[in-house]
Amino acid sequence: MTTRRELLQTSAAITLLGAMAQPRRGAAAAGPPIRVGCSITQTGPYSAPAVFELQGYQLAAAELNKAGGVLGRPIEIVAYDDQGNPSTAVQLYQKLIHSDRVDLLVSPYEADLVLAVAPLVTRARMVMPSLGANIEPYQGKYPYLIQAITQTPRYMVPVIDLAASRGYKTVALLVQNTQFPQELAKGIADEATAKGMSVVFREAYAPTTTDFSALVLKAAERKPDVIIGATYLADAMGIVHAAKAENVQAKMFAFSIGPVEPEFGKGLGPAAEGIFGTTLYFPSLKTAGNEAFVADFTAKFGRAPDYHAAVAYASLKVLAGAVQRVGSLDQDKILRALLQTQTDTVVGRFALSPTGMQTGYTSYVLQWQKGKQELVWPREQATAPVELPHPAW
Amino acid sequence: MATFATLVVLGLLWGGVYLLMAEGLNLIYGVMKVVNLAHGDFIVLGGLLALTLFGRYGLSPVVAFPLAAALLFVIGAAVQGGVLERILLAKPEGELRTLLATFGLSYVVANTSFLIWGSQFQSIPFLQSAFAVGPIAVPQGLLACSLLAAALAVAVHAWLRHTAVGRAVRATAQSALGAAACGLNVRRLRIVTFALGAAMAGGAGALVIALVPFQTSSGGDLTVQAFTLIALGGLGSYLGAWLAAELLGITEVMAQYYLGSDAAAAVIYLVFIAVLVFRPQGLLGRTMRI
Repeated sequence: MTTRRELLQTSAAITLLGAMAQPRRGAAAAGPPIRVGCSITQTGPYSAPAVFELQGYQLAAAELNKAGGVLGRPIEIVAYDDQGNPSTAVQLYQKLIHSDRVDLLVSPYEADLVLAVAPLVTRARMVMPSLGANIEPYQGKYPYLIQAITQTPRYMVPVIDLAASRGYKTVALLVQNTQFPQELAKGIADEATAKGMSVVFREAYAPTTTDFSALVLKAAERKPDVIIGATYLADAMGIVHAAKAENVQAKMFAFSIGPVEPEFGKGLGPAAEGIFGTTLYFPSLKTAGNEAFVADFTAKFGRAPDYHAAVAYASLKVLAGAVQRVGSLDQDKILRALLQTQTDTVVGRFALSPTGMQTGYTSYVLQWQKGKQELVWPREQATAPVELPHPAW
Repeated sequence: MATFATLVVLGLLWGGVYLLMAEGLNLIYGVMKVVNLAHGDFIVLGGLLALTLFGRYGLSPVVAFPLAAALLFVIGAAVQGGVLERILLAKPEGELRTLLATFGLSYVVANTSFLIWGSQFQSIPFLQSAFAVGPIAVPQGLLACSLLAAALAVAVHAWLRHTAVGRAVRATAQSALGAAACGLNVRRLRIVTFALGAAMAGGAGALVIALVPFQTSSGGDLTVQAFTLIALGGLGSYLGAWLAAELLGITEVMAQYYLGSDAAAAVIYLVFIAVLVFRPQGLLGRTMRI
């Protein structure tokens, strides 16, 4: 994930969290703990989503320990605070690998940090389930990284699916000119073409853009059925602002990142109504073990899990499963086992390409309805029916 | 034709928004020759205050505007009186020292805001619709900001020209030493000016957050944008800043439409560089300076 999702988060800078991962009942797991290392942005502006991720790891470790640990040994999480700084993360992974000599590694948050530590982790020949969505690292460049989050080009596949199911034919694409949205836009265009739709407008804008009026007017001149933004939060809000103020109509408005954030609804109020977004996870999902995950997470941390928590939780569970099957901590064997793993997680079906790219996870479509996010697609996961077409502003 | 007219209207209105966000900086620079690098952070602080007033008490940005302005007035007065007045301006390094002090201040303001509001982008749903004038849609939010920017510019201009305090401020701008020799309390005048400049930033933020989502780290970009604008207009010139704002607004909207959005971001700075090369004194040079 390249997005930086933040809520105000006062996170205590706890660096060593071993205590949280100790077996509760004492009896089941024995022997020296298996130490799982990571750096997490526990403080600073990017800490809010990262702390969700850490809590996901913590819950996974606690559950594994309750069930007897891995290879009969308890799991202990060794987490340091990288403060969102890539060079700090590099130093911390150095420390984890060479001085702490942890047994397993899991991923930091977010994509910049994953990319920063990738060469180091690869040199050390240690497997790392990674939470970076762009696909380049997993195409042979870093063979020990496996992708444990939905790959970028697939982020909006279900949105196209929903649009196609309504018979919509034309798409206008507004793309922030940075790496994640550009890779995403390519995925959207490919999927739309595959579904028999045509991209009638496509334009990139600088990430500093705040006024979208002319861009939105230009897109509207092609009379697209669907206007899709490969965006983050601020630009998604800017595009909706411009569309409403210029009274630009389309049958459907959808954005990659933006509507998933609560601030989207708060900041746009009535203008957010009917807008679609994507998410990688939703607490209502009917996926394997999700009900228990949501209940346990809420009980342990006093808030519902978000998608960062869910993908992190799933990634440690999948890694532990591979270790258990291999029967040892041999990193090459674990890697081979992971590449063959196909399993159902709280996020969805986990499966990898031969080079470690995530091919199982997809995303889910949500829509703002009456001031709330509802999951509307795919249909079997829906919490409310889809409301289409988009009404006049 | 309707499209072209719409683009012109949008450009002019966005120009007004840019002017609104630059007026406080222009006043402070005009009088004290100090570039307040915390200017953008003041704007963001005003905006986030409006956000809280809206979210917690349901108060519209119209009510938040004077409150944010008042709060920033107090903060501005405290900063000038407590910090900047104590920095020796006399030597050439003086300007650098105040620059560094306001740079530090911008970190203090931004990080304090972060502790209170977090780092997510925030906005307020306010005046989102448009008036239809024939085939042209005139967005209400943009119009309100533009009108307010114009009103503020006129008010500041009148204050500086036609009131005793305003004249004293201009006297201080021309020669602090001369003004002091005539018995003016130069220190107090500078405090009032800085506080007013900060208040204008805070008030602007309370409205602009409804148009452009802010996060606590947005301040730096806003400072650069405002500084570009007043440099383009001829530092300290009010008419110049207004012209520059409209020029930027129109250029941006037209470039976005005809050249593409990616190019638009560059075009503005190309215009800026051209002005610096061919007209380093700004569009209007020394005319209409404070």
